Amino acid sequence: MAEVLQIFVGGVLLGAIYALIALGFSLIYRVTGVVNLSQGGFAVLAALAGYTFSQRLGLPLPIALLCAVGGTTVVGLAIGWFTFVPALKKLSNANVLMLTVGILTLIEGFSLIVWGSQPYSVPAFSGEQPLEIGGLRITTQTFWIIGTAIVIFLAVWFVISRTKVGKALRACSENPSAAALMGINVKRMTLLSFTLATLIAAVAGVVVAPTTTLQFNTGQLFTISGFIAVVIGGISSFPGAIVGGLFLGLVTQFATAYVSSLFSNAIALILLLFILIYAPTGLIPSKITRRQDVREEPRVWGHLTRLAPQTAWIAAAVGIVIAVVVPLVIPAAYISSLTIAAIIFLALIGLDLLMGYTGQVSLGQAGFMAIGGYTAGYLSINYGIEPVFGIAAGVMLSLLSALVLSIVTLRLRGLYLALATLAFGLLIDSCAIGFIDITGGPSGMVGIPSFSVGPLYFDTPMSMYFLVVAVDVVVLFCLFGALRTSFGRALQSIRSDQMAASALGINIVRYKLAVFMISAALASISGSLLAYSFNFLAPEMVGTARSLELVSMLVIGGEGTLVGPVFGSVLLTMLPTIFQPLAMYKTFFSGALLILCFLYLPRGMYGVIAHAMSRVSTPKTVANSQGLAEGGAQ
Amino acid sequence: MSQDLKQPNGTDILRVDGLSKKFGGLKATDGVNFSVQENSITALIGPNGAGKTTVFNLITNIFPPDEGTVAFFGKQIAGWSPMDIANLGLIRTFQSARVFPGLTVLENVMVGRHRLIKSSDFGQMLWSPESRREEMRIRSQALAMLKIVGLERFKDAHAVDLPMGAQKLLEVVRAVMGSPRLLCLDEPAAGLNDTETEELAALLRAIRAAGISILVVEHNMSLVMNVADHVVVLDAGRVIAAGSAAEVQRNPQVIEAYLGREQNAAA
Repeated sequence: MAEVLQIFVGGVLLGAIYALIALGFSLIYRVTGVVNLSQGGFAVLAALAGYTFSQRLGLPLPIALLCAVGGTTVVGLAIGWFTFVPALKKLSNANVLMLTVGILTLIEGFSLIVWGSQPYSVPAFSGEQPLEIGGLRITTQTFWIIGTAIVIFLAVWFVISRTKVGKALRACSENPSAAALMGINVKRMTLLSFTLATLIAAVAGVVVAPTTTLQFNTGQLFTISGFIAVVIGGISSFPGAIVGGLFLGLVTQFATAYVSSLFSNAIALILLLFILIYAPTGLIPSKITRRQDVREEPRVWGHLTRLAPQTAWIAAAVGIVIAVVVPLVIPAAYISSLTIAAIIFLALIGLDLLMGYTGQVSLGQAGFMAIGGYTAGYLSINYGIEPVFGIAAGVMLSLLSALVLSIVTLRLRGLYLALATLAFGLLIDSCAIGFIDITGGPSGMVGIPSFSVGPLYFDTPMSMYFLVVAVDVVVLFCLFGALRTSFGRALQSIRSDQMAASALGINIVRYKLAVFMISAALASISGSLLAYSFNFLAPEMVGTARSLELVSMLVIGGEGTLVGPVFGSVLLTMLPTIFQPLAMYKTFFSGALLILCFLYLPRGMYGVIAHAMSRVSTPKTVANSQGLAEGGAQ
Repeated sequence: MSQDLKQPNGTDILRVDGLSKKFGGLKATDGVNFSVQENSITALIGPNGAGKTTVFNLITNIFPPDEGTVAFFGKQIAGWSPMDIANLGLIRTFQSARVFPGLTVLENVMVGRHRLIKSSDFGQMLWSPESRREEMRIRSQALAMLKIVGLERFKDAHAVDLPMGAQKLLEVVRAVMGSPRLLCLDEPAAGLNDTETEELAALLRAIRAAGISILVVEHNMSLVMNVADHVVVLDAGRVIAAGSAAEVQRNPQVIEAYLGREQNAAA
């Protein structure tokens, strides 16, 4: 009994932490209709700042924590002001979600630069000696955390339901247009909710810090747990955040205690997927009827970037020549990272089809890379199977998983889809770590042979590079054939207006499924090639961080443009290799670039290049007198 | 009311029987009956809030009716998905032009052909000769369509950059590209100026001449009186009159619905 109670207390503690993060999600969601995935980042930023102020600068603890929370809140205010608020006007909900991934990456990158990659531990506020109550040993920090959670929940409840500002916030959440007509500054309210959420996250961060080890990327974990908690509870209700948090905390704790710590995450994730199927509005549905898919989306996200056919063929030829010549002239040491860029590009093409063309968010693409990589590696190591068949087996397994996952995802849109795919990625991740006998666990799978076809061995970086480039070119050629015809038009019509598309007789389910399958297959092949190329595969190579990196690469390169992602892939893979000292800045810059592209370069680097090329290829005199043909040269 | 009407000859292709829908306590439509004949332009008119668009949405099953049936070429289509209804040859447009952003004007028209595409996805991926030929054919058809409505010179422009009137015309030709057996237009003249409305009327007559029947929900009386063979008048969710444009214009109930009880009918 005491043991159960002990676990229960642990669960409540964890639940309080999740609920605090979840509360921030809920707050922003209610006002804006989008989810801010950078919550966890702010929590860790505050916690690390608190560590520096109290441990390094020797400030008294209360002052140090106050400075940390205050500083983080100001940073949050600035980020909200310059990125989140303007993005709401310009971007679709799915892209705002991705933008917040960029903010999270930016914060993680900043933390990496300032605090490095080593773990930090922060001393408890009131000493490490646990209290004994009726046979239970409870750390003093538990009381701090649960107390803080209660205070914050009461404060938020009071502000929302008892003050004028709260009324304005509620008005924004129910009907922003009407709120604006009543003289409420919706933009300011959005910023306020963002800042308040940052404040809550910061407080949560400094209070929770002593119970965990902190690293620059711990924020991801906070974000993910909070996200899951808030969806389980019901995203647009505050009690939902508490219920979801506690539920998730207790389930994880009991699963860790009675099943296995390796699979406690997996259990929570499977639970989440079931909730997404059977009660997508969460355990506590809100009384507010507005849902994410009902928000009036700004209709500005259609951008037209086209090259004239002749220009496109010339550009393709030039591209292939560059891809062939570059490895012959660059130092041999760089060839293997160029190969990685080409391998990752393959997964990116799939993600582009899914996100860029069809508008389906996926935060779990690396899950399929993992399936492909581990399947191919396992079969090759243990059964000496031909790599080609290893890849094929991986693709089969990925397609099967995608089919099962699509039962969940086909009914979901926007943030629920993002969450379902994220959960899938995490699930695969925890399997990769948990099934030690098959995958080698956290230390990775070693001894994967090099790629070979019959007597042909691709065991040098150069040969592998040309193999991968050939695969890329074939895939691009096929997809370009489909995307330039009815297949591509169907995808783009689904992306922008499902109802109008179905009224023209377009089978939305079929196309979404097809695209999901293609993207899963490409990610799987990419994962297999990664394994054969490295002769090694570890969970973090194909984990959630990789999924998020894929999104960054896609947006930086140019989503919705078939070849654009190659720029993102090469840039983010090659730069850190070429400028080794800059490697630690990579995360920061990829976050910053992601945000900048979303706000200012909707077609990424490809858009810039294509625009320049069409300037060169079309004389100015053809420019349409009506001012209509902005970048419209077909 | 609808029994004593004089209809143009031909067979019924769409029959709407007793269509009712409540939103909360409000009866948006209440036992609506009417039919659309082959090769005709049928107009569904009525004052604001009469339930015209609701009837439209019930026919294309954007939401299901509480009661009543919709038969298209003898098939009961109530409860079918919008996609299946479209593939049966009943294609609709929307009140607010819904052109696809991210596609050019020409590509928007080409999307309309989608349901009749023969080449497979794999054929397209492998650049098969059939798929390329089909693509060329669709392209030239779409260009011809754009020529008819005078939008040819904007073919490579971003569709959402067109003015509203042009977007509405674009939506109509996009629907025509799907070779509908019945084309349903939801207020195609809303937001058009007089010249554009004239062009639209000519377009609708041309579409009928091509053998496509039209059901049009419209506010613009000059368009309706100009082109409609058969007019169905809705008021407060009910059919209050039906007949030719001239008959309907003389119907006292219609005049009352539009002008109010106290007004002089001569106005």
